[in-house]
Amino acid sequence: QVSELVQFLLVKDQKKIPIKRADMVKNIIRDNKDAYKDAYSEIINRAGRTLQEVFGLQLVEIDAKRHTYILINNLPRAESKYLCRDKEKEKMGLLLVILSFIFMKGNSVKDSALWEFLNLLRVYPGKQHKVFGDVRKLVTEEFVRQKYLESTLIPLTDPPEFKYQWGPRAEKETSKKDVLNFVAKIQGKDPTFWASQYSEAEA
Amino acid sequence: ENREAMLNSRSNRLTEALEEANKLFDGVCRAREAALDAQFLVIASNIGKEKANELHSEMSAFDSTAFAEDLLTFMGINRTEVEETDDSDDVPGGFLPSDAWQTLGEEAPMYFRRAPTFHYMMGSFKSEPPVPKQRIERQKKASRGKAERAMPAQLKEMEESHQEATEKEVERILRILQSHFENDPDTPISFFDFVIDPNSFAHTVENMFHVSFLIRDGLAKIKLDEDELPIIEPTKPNGRVEEESRARPRNQVVISLDQKEWK
Repeated sequence: QVSELVQFLLVKDQKKIPIKRADMVKNIIRDNKDAYKDAYSEIINRAGRTLQEVFGLQLVEIDAKRHTYILINNLPRAESKYLCRDKEKEKMGLLLVILSFIFMKGNSVKDSALWEFLNLLRVYPGKQHKVFGDVRKLVTEEFVRQKYLESTLIPLTDPPEFKYQWGPRAEKETSKKDVLNFVAKIQGKDPTFWASQYSEAEA
Repeated sequence: ENREAMLNSRSNRLTEALEEANKLFDGVCRAREAALDAQFLVIASNIGKEKANELHSEMSAFDSTAFAEDLLTFMGINRTEVEETDDSDDVPGGFLPSDAWQTLGEEAPMYFRRAPTFHYMMGSFKSEPPVPKQRIERQKKASRGKAERAMPAQLKEMEESHQEATEKEVERILRILQSHFENDPDTPISFFDFVIDPNSFAHTVENMFHVSFLIRDGLAKIKLDEDELPIIEPTKPNGRVEEESRARPRNQVVISLDQKEWK
């Protein structure tokens, strides 16, 4: 049963949408008796160990209340560019840019500010993009569903406005430090140039 | 409505608005107005919070415009050529190549610990009970494998195929011998070279077993060469096979071979 769960998780992870524990139980552990509640907890743990030892992947619970999980990579990063397809890489580029912007601007940005910034990169919410297609959908739906970004309604705004922050997947898959290093690399400066972001990243 | 104006860190508009609200509140006597006032306070405090936030990040001013330009440079923008665009004028000119995002995409994965997506190489199976796996068969065991996969209930069939299997093996060995001989018609092969499998004793014995059939059926013959070592060669096919086989003396040869000798 453990190997079935491992396969299930690997396939479910393709879309990068977090996996619910309820789905795991439904698909793999066919005994629905409450007596086996401990058993499936153990099965999930063992699956996690297999994923780690065989694939170098970590099963992480990102929502302890709703019991949702994601898979992240525990192996050294130098190889990652060989493991991603081109379409994925381009999206990751856009995502990295967005996450950098959010962090450098104090961890939270308004929807309008984000698009103002993306416009500078020739990416427009209303316009079909040659590479990304419907970018608005990509950012507001796909990235949010995958938990890379979190979108919250700003209270009492009329018309309603949203703000963006890092989502739990972003917190696990990358770090403030990494993102600051990226910005520093792009701008040809030392990360310490941005003192408060630097101290936040080092914390 | 004047949110942006109020957010401007140098503006005192927020303070002014709060002071005005305070004054107005003195004149309030109806509940509805009080509710409006409360609503205004909530909005004002939100704006206040945002201002405080902006203050913090301005300590290490992050110039997003500069960042954007540096990104475009990284992605390979060509600023000497001006692109024909119908966009608003505040977008800086320059030609962004089509592989711009790919270039960025080469750099990006290194900043993430993303699990590579798992895909089946061969596509998924049909949802039927799985067919018994084909054994990875070594070449020499081809027909023998078939015999073993037959179900126990069909014992008769199995015995027959077992017979067949042996015959097939014999045939196969004959063909090998013949083809060997075609290449080198006057040189019979050393018997031992022919039958011995350096990797398997059991196999060697099998080979000898098959060869003995060939001899029995007169399809091959064994002679002793100068060094008293047995050599084997196929017999030449001709029309009067039956007579020939009767005429040929049948000799029984017992060869003893144990594992030590085999080595």
